[in-house]
This record gives sequence, structure tokens and C-alpha cells, in this order.
Amino acid sequence: MFELFIAMVKEEWRVHSTMFGSLSFALFPFLIFGIAFMGSFLIPVVKRTLPVGNLSIIIHAMYLMLGLMVGGFGMLGNEVMNRRFGQASFLAYSARSLPISERTIFANFVVKDTVYYFFLWVFPFAFGYILAAPFLGIPLSSTLFLLLTLTLSFLFGLCGIFFLSTVFSWSKPVFWAFLLLLGVGFGGIMASGLNPAILFPPLMLHEEFSWWNLGLSCIVLAYLFVVSLWLFNPESVGSEKKHPDLFTPVLGRLSFLPNPPLAAKDAVDLHRSGSLIGQTIFSFVVPLGVIWFFLSLMAQFFPPHALLFLYAVTTGVIASTMYTWVTMFDAFGPYACLPVAVSTLIESKLTTFTILQIIPAVFIAAVSILAGEAAYLVPAVVLGLSVSFYAVGIMAWLCGLSPNVLVYDVKVLFEYLLLVGVVITVFSALSFINPWYALGSVILAVPAWLFIRQAKIRWDAVDPQGF
Amino acid sequence: MTAVIKADNLAKTYGDVQAVKGVSLSVEKGALFGLLGPNGSGKTTMIRMLTGQTRPTSGSASVLGIDVTQDPVGIRARVGIIPEQETPPSFLTAMEYLKFVAAVRQIPEIGKKADWWFDFLDFADKKDVLCKDLSRGTRQKLMFTQAFIHEPELALIDEPLINFDPIMQDLVKDYLAKYVKNGRTIFISTHILEVAEEICSEFAILHKGTLLHTGPVADLKARGEHLPAFFLSLVGKGRHV
Repeated sequence: MFELFIAMVKEEWRVHSTMFGSLSFALFPFLIFGIAFMGSFLIPVVKRTLPVGNLSIIIHAMYLMLGLMVGGFGMLGNEVMNRRFGQASFLAYSARSLPISERTIFANFVVKDTVYYFFLWVFPFAFGYILAAPFLGIPLSSTLFLLLTLTLSFLFGLCGIFFLSTVFSWSKPVFWAFLLLLGVGFGGIMASGLNPAILFPPLMLHEEFSWWNLGLSCIVLAYLFVVSLWLFNPESVGSEKKHPDLFTPVLGRLSFLPNPPLAAKDAVDLHRSGSLIGQTIFSFVVPLGVIWFFLSLMAQFFPPHALLFLYAVTTGVIASTMYTWVTMFDAFGPYACLPVAVSTLIESKLTTFTILQIIPAVFIAAVSILAGEAAYLVPAVVLGLSVSFYAVGIMAWLCGLSPNVLVYDVKVLFEYLLLVGVVITVFSALSFINPWYALGSVILAVPAWLFIRQAKIRWDAVDPQGF
Repeated sequence: MTAVIKADNLAKTYGDVQAVKGVSLSVEKGALFGLLGPNGSGKTTMIRMLTGQTRPTSGSASVLGIDVTQDPVGIRARVGIIPEQETPPSFLTAMEYLKFVAAVRQIPEIGKKADWWFDFLDFADKKDVLCKDLSRGTRQKLMFTQAFIHEPELALIDEPLINFDPIMQDLVKDYLAKYVKNGRTIFISTHILEVAEEICSEFAILHKGTLLHTGPVADLKARGEHLPAFFLSLVGKGRHV
């Protein structure tokens, strides 16, 4: 099985590197390393305003988030093979030609993803911190121990989302019951005056090393992994279930939009793949829930109302990734036989994206009310949506129809972080000064429109990528 | 005669690889033109350039009088295309995919036409199955249907028979032969030489991106030659064990 694992790692590397050249992709971990190394020198500054305990919670939360994001990408139970690989002849399909079960292949696939993304994201980040530690007077042993607990946090995110998604595809009532139970337990702990974060096994281990704490983390991880694998059901892949015509009524309802057939196809894709619910939960609500929890721990370090606007900006950035939901199903290939230009396809994907923005709008509004900040509901929603549209404009300009892949191009990621980072810093600061200044973010519609216009020109001028 | 496809010194380079090297050819209206060549000879790249899916590195070409670099979408609106190895979108059923194609091509009503194709290619029982769950052969039937459902004046089809069983191949060959009799044109890329000899009126042989030969099949037959032997004499020299 080791050969299969190695082959899958090579395959993943080649999929990414062929899109923008091996060197550009190979530089990605170095970029992460550089950010972590330089960021480490800010720790003494941050420590002056933030207690060490909270800083450790935030860093572990970041790694948990990273695991959730990596795991959430593509791991939606039964559809995982089709969604991740489409009709391409990847090794994930080798059960058809080799004497290996689909479950074994899937286990290899998960292990491969874990190892691959560990070396792509987790290790470079931790290594940056490790190398910076001597300059900051931090003992090497504590940095290595941090690497261990952060790795466990990452694995908790990955296996957690994997577990939730397989439960979701196995039985929706059980999934909702489990979430309810989790919510009640979480609420109960908070009501008792305890901080639930301290019950997070990797954090428990970080606070106090003991073999028991290490064992607990490993047992929970193994349990999540084994149960997920046990629940994974490959049988539905390739079934010949018949479906009623959904396209025609959806086409009728969306006839007011530009390019109705393309929008209708996207809507059917989202519905049938389970993505509308699945992605909303795993790539939107869960990450934002985690962010809200950790941000709320820092409420005392921000000006009044600032937390809501910081959250609105974060929601906006995460909402912009909904563009990846609608571009992940198909490359340009299936449209190549039709009179459709790449620019038309980008336009239609952005139309679907615009409809999906109802989700972040409602989400920010709900958070505003729940946080007792209903008075600032409108500026918070405006800020969140403006950031989302601005960020998606940049994403479309930089990545065209392949944001899921091109994010690993160092140049693309750097440009994205720079262009989005500057703007969110400015508008976060403005909303901190005066919440109503957030309304000024509507001005972002202008650069968003310009980026989208340039995206259409740019991607029409290059050969469409088939992948 | 009117040329529906004209290529002049058309070339395409991918990085260091010259996929097509200065190909010039002309396809007349009403022809069933076969582009022949071994794997990797540049056939698919030629079709991709002629349908505006990829831009030529140099040279020029026009399809139905439209420059391939100026208005590729305009070309795709008027022709039918079966791309090599492309499959229909995953989460639509076969019937929904045809309705999607019809909506994109602005064909008002395709219900009866779609039913005719489902019966003709014998996959009516699969019309409500998601495309991702169809077998390769059925997907190929669907891709064949989408290319011809609007009865284009020109169809460019890349290895259309490759996943069909012998009965289906026979049916499709017959369909293609009849299709061009109404003044419509087919540009077919294939490496099944027997099929090309049987149905094509003209052919061209491409090898390692270079055009080795172009001419009517009838000329070959008049000389008492067969296409497979002729092809191997040009391309397959020294490759026998």
C-alpha cells in the first residue's frame, strides 16, 4: 500500500505543479515559512497586549482551522471521489483496474492528504517559528513541543471535518443529532463558567504535558479516523439512480439572470452534490463558528463594537471563497464544445456567487443581533459583502476558473494576500474608529467591478486550462 | 466548390513540444474528411485549433469563413464538436444535459429530437441517470448526440467511435455517411483506418505534427491501394518487430 501512497503524493504534486510550473509551486512552503519566521518577531509585541494563554489558544485555533479547511475541501462523504477528481483517471479510481478495495484507496487518499498538506502548510509554518525561536530566547524544546501540539490541532481539524462529513452522508438525522449534542455540551460548559477551549486535547497537552494527555489526543484522532473510514460508503459511486428533471424548472426560475442555462446548471450541481448544505456547514459555518469563539476570547483587547466588524470582514473573506464552490465542479473542458467563452463562464459563476451571498448576509445579520449589536447590523452586512465582492474580483482576476488550484501558486497567493490584506486592514481600522464608516466600504464595488472586467479580458486571451 | 475549413501554415507549440508544424489544408463543403495519424500526431490539437479551443502559435485558419482567432465562440455556435475524452457535466442527467446544450445553443424545443437520439443510439433507459454515473460508451453516445442535435452544417469530431461496440460503430458510420449527402460537412479525426477508408471522401495523414499526405480516398482506390497499407507505408516504416 506504501507504493499507492507514494504514487498518490506524486500525483497530487504533479496536478498542482503542472498548473503553474514546479518551481513556482515548490516555493509555496517557503512563502509560508517566510511569513511564519518574520511573524514570530512580532510575538514579543503581541505579548504586551495579549496574555500568553490566549496567544496559545489563537495559534492552536489557526491550526485547527487549517485542518478544517484542508479537510473540508473535497471531503463530503460519498461524493468525494467525483467532486475531487471528476472524470479524470486518477489513482483514486484504481479500484476498478487494480485488486484494491475502494475503502483502502480512500484510506490512502486521506493519509496522503494529511501528509501532503502537513508538509505544504503545517511544517513550513512551524519551522519558521522554530528558526526564529533562538532570536527570541525561546528554548528549542518548547518550540518542538509546540510543533507537536499544533500538528495535533491540524489533525483534529482534518479528521473532525472528515468525521462530520461522512456522518452527514451516512445519516442526516444522526448528523444533526450529533451537532445538537455538541452544541448543548458546548453551551453547558460555557454556562458553567468554564472555557471550552481548555478541553481541546492538543491544548490540554500544550498546557501540561502528560502521557495521558498525549494518549487522549491520539485516541480521539484514531477514533475519528476509524469511524469515518467505517462509515465511508463507496457503493453509491457509479450507481444508476434515476433523477427527475430539475434543470427545466430551475432554468425557468432563473430566466431573469444573465446566462440562465449556466446559472441553472450551477444550481443543479450545488443541489445534487450536496454542496449547498455541505459546503455551507463545513466551509462556512463551522470555520466561522470557530473564529467567532476565539475572537470572543479577545473581546477585551478591542474597542467596543470592533469585534463585530472584525468578524464581518472575516466573514467577507471566507464568503469570497464561495467562488471556489461553484468553480470546483467543472473545468472549461465540458464547455469547449459549446458556444461559451471563458469570460461568459466567469460571469455566470459570479452570478451564482452573487446569489450565494445571501448566506453571509443573513449570517452577519444574525451575528449582529445575537451579539446585541443590532444597531450596527446594516454597516456590518455592507462591510462583509463589500469585502466579499472585492476579494472575489481579485480571485477571478488572478485565478480565472481555477481558484482551487492556483491558490498554491506563490505569486498568486502573495498578490491575493497583499491586495486583500491592505483593504481589510484599512476598513477594519475605519470601522474601529466609527462603526458607520464601514458603510464607506461600498466604494470597494468600483475596484471589484474593474477586477472582474479585467478578469474576463485576461482569461479570454489565454488557452482555457483543461484539468 | 466552397471551402468550409481552410488552414494555412497552422502551427502549435506547447513549451518545447511542436504539436503541429505548419499544416495547410482545405476541406470542401459536403466532404467527409478524415484526419488520420498515430497517437500523438497532432490530430486533437488540429481540431482544438479549428474550434477555437486553443490558439495557434502561428499560421491562420478559418472555419465557415470565420477566423479561428477572431471569433471562436461564433464558430462553436455554428458547428458541432465532439472533443476527445471530454465528458458531460457530472451532476446533470443525460436528458438534462441535452436540455442544457439546447438552452445554450438557443434551440427552442428539443424534446422530440432528444427522444429520437435516445432511441437511435439505444440509451433511452439512461436518460434520467446522472452523467457521472454513465458508462464510457453511454457518455460517448451523449457527446455524439450533443454534437448533432442542432444539425450543424459542419461537425468536427475527435475519435467519435472509440468507445462504441461494433453494432453502434456500424450505426454511427451509416449516420455519418448519410449526413454529408445533404451538403453538410464532417471533419473526423481517427486512427481506425478501416473506418476512414469506408466512409471518408478525403483524408489527410498527420505524423509528428507534419502533414504527410492529403487527397481523395477515391484516388487511392483507383490506384488499387488500400488506406491502411498506404498509411503504414508513410507512417509505420521500420516499426514492425
